[in-house]
Amino acid sequence: MVPSSVSVPTSRVVRFRITQRTRRILLVIVGLLLPAAALRLFTAVYPFLNTIWLSFHDWNPAFPPQRFVGLKNFQALTRDIAVTSSIDFTILFVVLSTVLQIVLGLAIALILNRAFPGRGFVRAVNLIPWAIPMVVAAIGFRWMYDVQYGIINDLLHRLIGVRIPWLVDFWGARAAVIATNTWKSAPFVGLVLLAALQGVPQDLYEAGRVDGTNRISAFFYITLPLIMPQIVTIGLFMVVWQLAAFDLVFVMTGGGPGFATQVLAYRIYQVAFTALNFGYASAISMILFVTVGIASVIGLLLFRKVEVSL
Amino acid sequence: MNERGTTRISRRRFLKAMGIATGSLGLAAGLGGCAAPPAAPQQPAPAETPARGTVPKTLVLAIQGFAHDAMKPVLAKWEERTGHKVTLESGPVSGNEMITKYAPAFQSGVSPVDVMSDADDSGPSFYRAGWMQPLDEAIPQETWDDFPESFKQQIEVWHSFEGKRYRVPHEFAIGYTFYRKDWFDERKIEPPKTWEEVVAIGKEFTKPPVFGTMEALIKPALAFVYMAYLTSQTGGNLFEFDEATAQAFQFAYDLIHTHKIMPETTLSMDYTQQNEEYMNDHVAFMRQWPFFWDVARGNKNWYQEGKAEITLPPAGPAGAKSWWGGWGFSVPKFAPNKAEALDLIAFITNNENAPILAKGQSWFVMPRKSIMAVMGNEGLAVHMQKYAEANVPAPRPFHPKVAEAQSIVDDMAALYLTKQISLSEAMKQGKERIAALS
Repeated sequence: MVPSSVSVPTSRVVRFRITQRTRRILLVIVGLLLPAAALRLFTAVYPFLNTIWLSFHDWNPAFPPQRFVGLKNFQALTRDIAVTSSIDFTILFVVLSTVLQIVLGLAIALILNRAFPGRGFVRAVNLIPWAIPMVVAAIGFRWMYDVQYGIINDLLHRLIGVRIPWLVDFWGARAAVIATNTWKSAPFVGLVLLAALQGVPQDLYEAGRVDGTNRISAFFYITLPLIMPQIVTIGLFMVVWQLAAFDLVFVMTGGGPGFATQVLAYRIYQVAFTALNFGYASAISMILFVTVGIASVIGLLLFRKVEVSL
Repeated sequence: MNERGTTRISRRRFLKAMGIATGSLGLAAGLGGCAAPPAAPQQPAPAETPARGTVPKTLVLAIQGFAHDAMKPVLAKWEERTGHKVTLESGPVSGNEMITKYAPAFQSGVSPVDVMSDADDSGPSFYRAGWMQPLDEAIPQETWDDFPESFKQQIEVWHSFEGKRYRVPHEFAIGYTFYRKDWFDERKIEPPKTWEEVVAIGKEFTKPPVFGTMEALIKPALAFVYMAYLTSQTGGNLFEFDEATAQAFQFAYDLIHTHKIMPETTLSMDYTQQNEEYMNDHVAFMRQWPFFWDVARGNKNWYQEGKAEITLPPAGPAGAKSWWGGWGFSVPKFAPNKAEALDLIAFITNNENAPILAKGQSWFVMPRKSIMAVMGNEGLAVHMQKYAEANVPAPRPFHPKVAEAQSIVDDMAALYLTKQISLSEAMKQGKERIAALS
């Protein structure tokens, strides 16, 4: 069906004539899209624009009035140890978590892709950590890392005779938070990569075998290149998702000890909703937005680079 | 109308209508987001006589869950008197949570509750923002006169703004020193009276997993509580990060890292974990809020007389001090049933009902004359009297931007106590960040 007719006159000006029917169809399209567009406008675009606006203002409802301060909030960011430390840990948390989740997820996917008795059951069990709410996991792990009563320290004590105050030590707390986050999301990554593995044509492996390829070479020269688009996609998804992580740190460490495990989203929450400093919190939000934007662009560029066509 | 009985709208009219609708929505959302919250509707003054005959209303009172049972008899009396109903809702457990939960609603000009129990760390921000209803006309003078003279300054600083009172205290939260009298009696020693004795006696008891003392210091806020406690004993001004504040920070550091009479794990502990440690017989003495009195005695399997007694705090360079603060009742400016809420708050805080609440839950025990007259010789009230007589209560450190200032102290203490920065760096950064608040 061609909704519009195009007349090409002899002159160089090309004229498009929209028929009555096309107009009606367009009207219906606009009418159907408008509610969704309006919803997004008021729940995403308006808050976003308002956050940009607020980031240039000093606005604390307990200390009115709202004042325009230009770039003062952004200048203050650079001197604020709480924010700079949060940026440090956010980057470390996101990069390490994503890498570990992909490596472990791929390992899980490779195991679950093989045929063995009870595979269906194991595939279901694999998803349990992902199905547990993050707050529940955070509370559970907080107790598990406890020096006196925690199962992790109990095992360490039985095996090598030491107890580690994980959540008190600077690097111990960071390791504990990243490990918990990895444990929680690696099964989900594994599930996505399992779907990708199942899309790899078997005849490529057969052809490889004919050419004398061993399993390791097959993995690096057949499997990995063919599932790379999915790895990049899930990697990008996890990066963006984890940049806004809040609940794990909020419940498990409160951002401590000191600022060791404080992430940007948690800092924004503290500044906005415990100090009511909406202007400064908006400025920190803009930093987070720019970070997400940069990560997305890098991810998309990577995706283009690894696109595969069979 | 067409032949099928439906109205046909022309494309032009359809687009016009959609444009107007979208524009109106945009304008409304824009104005709604940017404008100040709408002014609260004028409400009549609270009725002094029972409101029988009027339409029964249901009010919402938000207060921490553990206090609900104690509230019920008093609320039943008010319901009987007025014909209205009160629904109890579990309120947040900290000032930070109060702000998180209620600030968005108040900023939008609405309130999900009629009366609320509000914390020191959130109350001042709420009054300054104009979100609370002044209580001067609702609360009779005899209620204010029921508070001891020593409360007056704290009420003016923490419960008032620009000469108007916004909150009626219902809690006297002071850090008590709990100790194992049974252990001390066994060794024939007295609980520590000075910082030096804290160290000496603490060392005597410390044999991991048993420690001389313990203090939950997890973020957010708990390190602030302890630093404010120690700074009250050094006579410093916590928010100035002065010499005496540095002395308090140093003492906390020494307890953990030098003398090792407080375990390093306290840095990641909350109050529940601290209490568990105490009730697992791992602590000889500790600072804790009054609620531990009931927690210890409620642990029937563990508690015996002498296991959780109270003594005066140890004296630092400025004496045996402990800061106090607490929660109080407020009425939001946007309360759905404001007139009835003002009547309710006057009722539950009056001199007749304050002792009933105090008898029901130690959280409501305060040195109010009416409460002391009824229960001055029993339970926690005895220790409250002793603390008052020994001039222990010190004012809670105040800053106009209280939540942010406390957060700075909390951050600096956590960084220093976890050895991430030096003491001098903690003091320097603390001063700079406090200065930046203004």
